[in-house]
Amino acid sequence: MMPSPVIEMQAVTRRFGDTVAVDGLSLVVRAGLIIGFIGPSGAGKTTTIRLLTGALAPSGGEIRVLGEDPRRLSRRSRARIGYMPQLPSVNPELSADENVDFAASLFGLVWPRRRRRVKEVLELVGLGSVRRRLVGKLSGGMRRRVELAAALVHDPDLAFLDEPTAGLDPILRGLVWDELHRLRDLGRTILVTTQHIGEASECDVVALIAEGRLVALSAPDELRRSATGGDVIEVETTSAFDPFNLGEVNGVRRIERIGPRSFRAIVDDAGRATPDVASALAAAGATVASTREWRPTFDEVFATLVARASREKDESGSPAATAGLVPAPPASPPGGVAPSDRIEPPPR
Amino acid sequence: MIVLQVITRLLAFVGKETAEILRRPGAALSLVFGPFLVVLLFGIGYQGYRSGLSAIFFVPASSGLPADLASYSGSAELVDVRMVTSDPVVAEAALRARDAQVLVRMPDNLQATLESGTQAVITVETNLENPQEIGYANLLASQISERLNRELIKTVVSKAEAEYGSRLPIPPDVIAQPTRAVVTSVAPTTPGIITFFGPAVLVLVLQHLAVTLVALSLVRDKMSGMLELFRVSPTSSGEIILGKLAAFGVIGALIAGLSALLLVVGFGVPVAGGTLPLIGILGLVLASSLGIGLVVALVSDSERTVVQLSLLLLLVSILFSGFIINVGEFTMPVRAIAYLLPVTHGITLLQDSMLYGTIASPAPALALGAIAIVTIVLGWLLLHRAMRPLAG
Repeated sequence: MMPSPVIEMQAVTRRFGDTVAVDGLSLVVRAGLIIGFIGPSGAGKTTTIRLLTGALAPSGGEIRVLGEDPRRLSRRSRARIGYMPQLPSVNPELSADENVDFAASLFGLVWPRRRRRVKEVLELVGLGSVRRRLVGKLSGGMRRRVELAAALVHDPDLAFLDEPTAGLDPILRGLVWDELHRLRDLGRTILVTTQHIGEASECDVVALIAEGRLVALSAPDELRRSATGGDVIEVETTSAFDPFNLGEVNGVRRIERIGPRSFRAIVDDAGRATPDVASALAAAGATVASTREWRPTFDEVFATLVARASREKDESGSPAATAGLVPAPPASPPGGVAPSDRIEPPPR
Repeated sequence: MIVLQVITRLLAFVGKETAEILRRPGAALSLVFGPFLVVLLFGIGYQGYRSGLSAIFFVPASSGLPADLASYSGSAELVDVRMVTSDPVVAEAALRARDAQVLVRMPDNLQATLESGTQAVITVETNLENPQEIGYANLLASQISERLNRELIKTVVSKAEAEYGSRLPIPPDVIAQPTRAVVTSVAPTTPGIITFFGPAVLVLVLQHLAVTLVALSLVRDKMSGMLELFRVSPTSSGEIILGKLAAFGVIGALIAGLSALLLVVGFGVPVAGGTLPLIGILGLVLASSLGIGLVVALVSDSERTVVQLSLLLLLVSILFSGFIINVGEFTMPVRAIAYLLPVTHGITLLQDSMLYGTIASPAPALALGAIAIVTIVLGWLLLHRAMRPLAG
């Protein structure tokens, strides 16, 4: 039996005066996933998190978090939520463990469990050795990790983390993602925003947001395929070759020439199509120097999808659909199941 | 379990705020000891009397009055006689040149005027801007007139005795000044300047500290992501208010205790009414001031606004609370503002209790309780509203 959704957003809009910060956002998230809200600054990521935490009321649409309206969450549900706001939420005049202890107390953790958890979670984020140091004397990255520890200290079922890796170097970002993966593997649901588009690959599901609209919602690999139109095989031949007659090869969708001796074949499935392409090249008298699967960076994927969504919006005059990756969730999903329900937790 | 969690949250606030204060002891110490040092300096430096007005006496040549400086030097309390002249032009020029603050014009042909059955007039002209000094010039005029009258009566009586060759049963001095006033006190203590102002400073410091500390703490939470965290957590607005009150109640009580000890042991202020009333009054002042601090925080949008409002409140408190000028000297609308301040009632209660030993009326205590309840409930309502989701 499919677990009930942890988060449901149905055509949610939020306006600030004339500015539309979130524009018709619909998605459903089930437990045990890391969903990344990815987009540039001002895209509407933080507003979405604030809508989900109940800090903001939607201008339109409906939101359910843990089955309740987030504006009126019960104490029991609140105790199951962890939150790391974008603004600083630690006190520089308190030590790391005092800050985390205060957060734990807010969420109702009583001594001695609280004491144990504070120590554990600070160890987890790599701050065990500096836990008695004042936060004001820690580096920006360390402070961010103290805030992460404070958000996770009560072992929440659902965590909203607003840019937890902002200001961290790549090694620390890796540590944070390792911890989030560990929590996800324990069945926790984590909604995380980031401006580091490359971090999309760390998420199970990526919600690509631009100008308040959901540009795409999919697993990272699906997102990549959607941007390129399929898998991409990059082929280099030993001599000049005209690749465009390869379009007839089974499974090849499109050919893009990138040089006199190299081209990219956009195919349904790289694993199946590569031998067929190699055979076709051999039959045409060309010698293959190298073949490899080409994977665009997430920056490239993001730029492609945003540009496509913008084009579609201009053409249709209405908010873009989800760029063909996942059908735009209908206002009333058939059978009460939104398309995003098809995204299942990854195998353990 | 829920009760345990609520207690945990309240203790968390106490721990957090206490740790913050302890990490910045300089700020708290300067807030407590600063005002006391000012009072100490005031008490040590205050001489208890004011320097007199400088005066020129114009004595017309035909007045029949003495024209030497010594005759007028003691003509009034605190008058500094600079010159006695019979030239009106010189006297007026000296007044306009501010060589002296007042010009006393003695009457011309004094004896002839009196014999004609008419009052002689002493004119005091001033060249002053300070209203207090102008008031003092009026007092000076009465004193000079009284002194001159006395001297005249003595002279007339002495002349009559000499003329008729017999002494009256009452000496001329007594006839000239038949009565004099002596002031005595039945109050249990006769406070000096420090003793009198000490309790008032304690109340003022306590109000200022409580308002500033709780308001700064709450506005910092508001401006940072802390309030967002409170909103998401299972902590209610009531628990936050109670937590802040508990935290700053403990901190304020420590500061009030230390300050009271400093007053009693260091400055010798008596505790005529006993310790329990003292604790009760300080508790009421603290609770009402914390309530005002909550409201200040919740109507402020930055730490700067809190500091500005706190200083404004301090200024209003110094001017209108009875700290310097008696509350009764203000007109009613302004007096009403004074009665909204915890310090107004706190000063009355604490001076009564510490110096007099009994509290004249329970009204100030009831007023403090009412201020505490109203402001704390208002603070809670404002925080509750601030924590509600912002409408789209």
